[in-house]
Amino acid sequence: MMKQLFIKSAAVCCPDRELLSYFNLPSSDIDNSFIPAVMRRRTSMTTRMAITAAKLACLQANTEAQNLASVFASLGGEIQVTDALCRLLPDDNELLSPTQFHNSVHNTTAGYWGILNKCQAPTTAIAAADDTFAMGLIEVWAQLQQGSGERLLVCYDELWPQYLAPPIGQAAFACAFVLSTEAEQAIGAITMPQVSQQNKQDMQAEWLKLTAAAPAAAVIPLLLALQHRQPGLVPLNIKAPIWASQFTV
Amino acid sequence: MYSSRTYERENLACTSRKTMKNNHAAISPVAITAYSALSACGMGNKALYQCLAANQSELKPLSLFKIPFPAYVGEIKQPLLDIRDQLAEYNCRNARVALTALNDKQGGVRNAVEVAKEKYGVHRIGVIIGTSTSGLYETEAAYAVLLDTGKMPDDFHFVTEHAYQATARFVQLELGLTGICYAISTACSSGAKAIAAGQRLINGGLCDAVIVGGVDTLCRLTLRGFRSLELVANRPCTPMDRDRQGISIGEAAGLLVLEKTHVGNSNAMKVLSVGESSDAHHMSTPHPEGKGAALAMNNALQLAGLTADNIDYLNLHATGTKINDSVESRAVFSVFADSLACSGTKGITGHTLGAAGALETIIALIALQQQFIPGTQGLRELDDDCQCQVIQTPLHAQKLQIAMSNSFGFGGNNASVVVSL
Repeated sequence: MMKQLFIKSAAVCCPDRELLSYFNLPSSDIDNSFIPAVMRRRTSMTTRMAITAAKLACLQANTEAQNLASVFASLGGEIQVTDALCRLLPDDNELLSPTQFHNSVHNTTAGYWGILNKCQAPTTAIAAADDTFAMGLIEVWAQLQQGSGERLLVCYDELWPQYLAPPIGQAAFACAFVLSTEAEQAIGAITMPQVSQQNKQDMQAEWLKLTAAAPAAAVIPLLLALQHRQPGLVPLNIKAPIWASQFTV
Repeated sequence: MYSSRTYERENLACTSRKTMKNNHAAISPVAITAYSALSACGMGNKALYQCLAANQSELKPLSLFKIPFPAYVGEIKQPLLDIRDQLAEYNCRNARVALTALNDKQGGVRNAVEVAKEKYGVHRIGVIIGTSTSGLYETEAAYAVLLDTGKMPDDFHFVTEHAYQATARFVQLELGLTGICYAISTACSSGAKAIAAGQRLINGGLCDAVIVGGVDTLCRLTLRGFRSLELVANRPCTPMDRDRQGISIGEAAGLLVLEKTHVGNSNAMKVLSVGESSDAHHMSTPHPEGKGAALAMNNALQLAGLTADNIDYLNLHATGTKINDSVESRAVFSVFADSLACSGTKGITGHTLGAAGALETIIALIALQQQFIPGTQGLRELDDDCQCQVIQTPLHAQKLQIAMSNSFGFGGNNASVVVSL
């Protein structure tokens, strides 16, 4: 049985420069240089954010994306694309764009990531509301338990129309990790996510507020533990039951 | 002609071996202690078997809502159970379809979960449900109100009805479970990928049992979206036929209870493996040589520790579009030559999108259990392009031990499930 999952890299992408300044990890706003022009025109903010974070994480880990299986975790995925299509549906005369339609699936980012990197390794797209990051880690854990190697985990949420589920969607946030069964070049390690005894998140109020607006930001306690090299129990979501992993340096 | 086919086959096999480095040694089977399907064929495995055995199409003109073009669909016509008041915020067609399948006594999913709860504890049972559109049918109605009045209706609950995990979470709460719970949404491979995730969670010791499957319901977005791609047939779909015109969309719930194997369930059918791959080619068009599809099938064989001649029946993805069927037949030929009995069942049930991988895995289980090979409803004359052995009308009194089911989705997302008696 696998005891620990090693973190080879962690990276952040979001449009908020002030937020980016908190992270002493590879981080940036959407970096269009990672995405060829043809793909850039076809992809949403959420996909370009997730791809930027994923690229930064692969670069930092010095991992070849072409052979890397991946897990994409997001509450809403391509919510802006879906919203635009839903606005057309009440009118029978509106014609839907075929590109927008195939770009509305939850695994759109996963699909473009595969095309971008010519990667034929398996990829999946999951969703679990407030628990999306925790469940993404669990999916990676179960995949790596089955063998050895590395996985890319990307967790992301874009800006949402505010009539859907406020405050969700008031902030956009993406992060990515290269996770490995091997300790070599690791910047930290985590144990298997489990439901912890604590039923309240003791994150700072500002982070709680951010996570309520962008559930992907539930990753912040782990990012802070990584950057402060601070071992301890790290929560992976903000609402009870709280999933948590032990973090070690 | 023959030599060029042979060459392609070797070429594909070679590519597969190279890329398989990322995958690993054989994995342990998991037991399927209950399963149930609700589709246009009706409630339960018996109703599904009867349609399959009669090779009877359930594709009819859409009646659930209006769309601006003619379409044949696999619509669930039977009454759906109501969501209880305590879970009212989860109430949508997708959840009602899931609940109806869950409570199907014949399939016994709910009963198997109750037994598992006693045995393992509520926290050790996971729920992984595949879906492509979740509660979108109701979302669409809410948008009509939004555009009309400037605000969403008062009973609009985005996260619990419309977001991808809504149905998985509903099933978890309905069954009183507290463990791992998420949705997989990889378009038309979602249901098959949920089975993969469930098998891994059990093998990895994260769960002792997992309710897996796929639930997807008809909605305007998928019908009009596939129409925009010019992929919807204006008559019932005819997979693998030389004159095929496109897909007929359907809706379904396919639910399975997976458990770790032990002496008590040694007679249960099993999931041996799920092979997964990506095309890395295009968002809505498969790789022209079917490389991704072949890789998924080869990965499934490798993970199960099997070779191609161990498979007795293959349920094809076979959607009925020109390109999908022709690419799949090439991929199947590259792995199995023309020696494997294959059929596509979407001419009976419709393409149930995110549920298809689970529904068609259940069809493979029914084939094993009944020792019969379903036909390919709608197929009149096999496309010259198709080199694999497609069964047109059902074959009974077969000897089947192991079956495979293919599911391929947008984004080039492929999964092949292997199940055994």
